Amino acid sequence: MAKWGMVIDLEKCTGCQACSTACQMENNRLPGENYQDVLYYTEGKQPTPQLKWFPRPCMQCEEPSCMHVCPTRATYKTEDGVVLIDWNKCIGCKYCMIACPYGVRFYTDEKPLVEPNVKAVFNGDRKLSWNPPYKGPQQDAAKGIGIQPDGVVSKCTFCYHKISKAPKGTPDLDPANPELVEYVPACVRTCAPGARYFGDLDNPNSQVNRLISDKQGTRLLDHTGNKPQVYYLTGAGAAGSAVPGTRAAKA
Amino acid sequence: MTIQAQANGPVTPVMMAGLAGLVVSLAIAFSNLMADGHAAFNTGSDGVIWGLPVVNYVFFALASTGLTLVASVAMTFGSQAWYPLAKRCVWLSLVTLVAGFASLALELGHPFRMLWAIPLNFQPTSPLNWMGLFYAVFLVLGILKFVRIHVGDWNSPASKQIGLAALVTELLAGGMLGMAFGAMAMRPMWYGTLVPLYFVLTAACTGGAFALLVTYLAYGKDAAMPDKVRSLIRGPLPMAFAALLGLTILVIGYRTLIGLWSNADGLQVWDHIVASPWFWLEAALLVGAFYLLLEKKALAAAALMVIAAFFIDRYFFVVGGQLAPLFKGAWVPELIPYSPSMTEWMLTLLAFSIVFFGWALGEKMLKLEAAPQGD
Repeated sequence: MAKWGMVIDLEKCTGCQACSTACQMENNRLPGENYQDVLYYTEGKQPTPQLKWFPRPCMQCEEPSCMHVCPTRATYKTEDGVVLIDWNKCIGCKYCMIACPYGVRFYTDEKPLVEPNVKAVFNGDRKLSWNPPYKGPQQDAAKGIGIQPDGVVSKCTFCYHKISKAPKGTPDLDPANPELVEYVPACVRTCAPGARYFGDLDNPNSQVNRLISDKQGTRLLDHTGNKPQVYYLTGAGAAGSAVPGTRAAKA
Repeated sequence: MTIQAQANGPVTPVMMAGLAGLVVSLAIAFSNLMADGHAAFNTGSDGVIWGLPVVNYVFFALASTGLTLVASVAMTFGSQAWYPLAKRCVWLSLVTLVAGFASLALELGHPFRMLWAIPLNFQPTSPLNWMGLFYAVFLVLGILKFVRIHVGDWNSPASKQIGLAALVTELLAGGMLGMAFGAMAMRPMWYGTLVPLYFVLTAACTGGAFALLVTYLAYGKDAAMPDKVRSLIRGPLPMAFAALLGLTILVIGYRTLIGLWSNADGLQVWDHIVASPWFWLEAALLVGAFYLLLEKKALAAAALMVIAAFFIDRYFFVVGGQLAPLFKGAWVPELIPYSPSMTEWMLTLLAFSIVFFGWALGEKMLKLEAAPQGD
C-alpha cells in the first residue's frame, strides 16, 4: 500500500494561486474556503523589501493531532496515508480545528469568508453548505468528499476520489504522464511551474523520495511532532525559515 | 434530618427573573439559530473557532466541579460545620452542569448525533471524550447523591461512597477539561502541564462564590440565617475562600507575567489582554473580593465579584488562546478580531437563567436548607 505524500518546491512556486483555484473547482468549495491556499508576506522595508509566499495544503500528517482529538473517530487515516473525515460521524465540535497546527480545516455553518455570500444565492437548504451550479462527479460523505453538509468540518482529501483509483504500485502520480494524469490531485495537475510532486513516500525509488533526499526536503512546524507528509524544498534550510512567525518584525 | 429555618430571601424574584431570562434567551437564540444556523455566531474557520458558548460551558462546568468540592468538605472530609451548605451545593452542581451542557449543545453542529457517535466510536486519545464521560458519570452520581440526602441518608456507607465517587469524577472531569486545552502544544497560550490544576483551583473559587451567593439569596441577610449557617458564613467559609482566592490571584498574576515576558509565537495575545480594561476589571474584582472576604464584609457582593471576575477570566482563556493567527500573512490581522454576537450572548443569558431558575426551584421544592440530624 502506498503512503501518499506531496513535495512542493518553493523555488519553483510563483504564488499564482492556480492550485487554490483548481482545488476550489474540483472540490466545490465556497470562495475563500478552498482546501489549500497560498499565504503572502511582505517583509522588510524599502529599498530592500521582500515579497514571500507559501502554499499551504493539509499536511496529511503521519501523527495527525486532529485525528487524536476527534471524539467520534470521524477524522481517520486511510491505509494509504490520507487523513479524511467521515461526515456521517462528525458532530461539529471543532476540536480538530483547534488541534490542527496548520489551520487547514473548515466548519460549514458560519458567516461567509468572502462577500457576497454565494451560499445565499445557491442555497443548500440547510442540508449542504451550498448548492453550486457545477458539481463534482462524486459525493462520498464517509470520506468527506463532495459538497460539505451542514454542521460538520471539512478538509483537503489529497483529492482522494482521484488518487484512490490510481493503479497499485504506482511510485509517482506524474501529471505529465497521460496514463496517470486523471489520478493526480487537482492542485498538482494544475501547477503551471510544476512546483508540486505527488507520489509514494514508502517507495524509496519514487521521485518524491528522491527530491526529499537530494534537495533536503523539510516539513513545516516539525517540532509539533505531527510529521507532515507534505515536504517543502526551500533551497535554503528548513521549511519554517520560509514562513515568518506571527511575531516577526512588522513590514 | 434537621430542617433549618426556611429560606426567606428573594427566592421568588430570582425565580421569576430566571424564568424571564429563559424565555427571552431561548426565543432569541432559537429564532436566530433556526434562521441562520451557526452563522448567527461570530466564530469562523479563519477566526475564533470556539467562542462565547464554549466560554459559558467552561465557566459553568468548572463551577459544577467547584460546588462539588465545597459540598465535599462536609460530606467527604467530615467537617461538620460545612453541612448547612452541602445539599444546596450538590443541587447547584447539577444545575450548573446542565447550564454548561445547554450552551455547549447549542454550539455543536450535531448535538444529537453525539449521543450515538461517541459511544459507538469512542476515541480514547481525545481529552474531550474523557471530560464528557466523567461529567456524564458525575451527573448520574450527583443525582443519586442528591436523592440519598433528600431522603435523609447523609451518612450511610453507600451514601458516602457515592459522594466520594462523585467528587473524584468531578475532579477528573475538571482536570480533563483543563487537559483539553493544556494538551494543545500548537496553541502556546493554552499549552501546559499545570492547566488541569489551574482549572481545578479556579473551579473551587467559582464553586465557593456560587455557594456563598445562593446562601445569601436564600436567606436575604445574616440576621435571617439559622445560627449554624451564619457561623459558617461568618467563620470558616470566608477564611477558606479568601485563602483559595489569594492563591488563585497569585497564579493568575504569574500566568500573566509569564505570558508578557515570553517571546514565543502566539503569546503576544497577552499584550492585548493586559491592554484591555476587562483585564483590569477582573483584577480589581478579584482583589476587591479578596479584601471583602478577609474583612468578612459584604460577602454577597464578594461572591458576585468573584463570579464576574472568573467569567472574564474564562473568556480571556478560551478566546485569548485563539486570537493569535497560526500563520502570518498579508491579509491576516496581527490578532483576530472577535466579539460575540447577540445569539452567543443569549446562550450566556440562557446558562445563567438555567442556574438561577434551577436553584430557586430547588430552594422552593427540595428543602435545600436541610442538614443531617444532630448537626
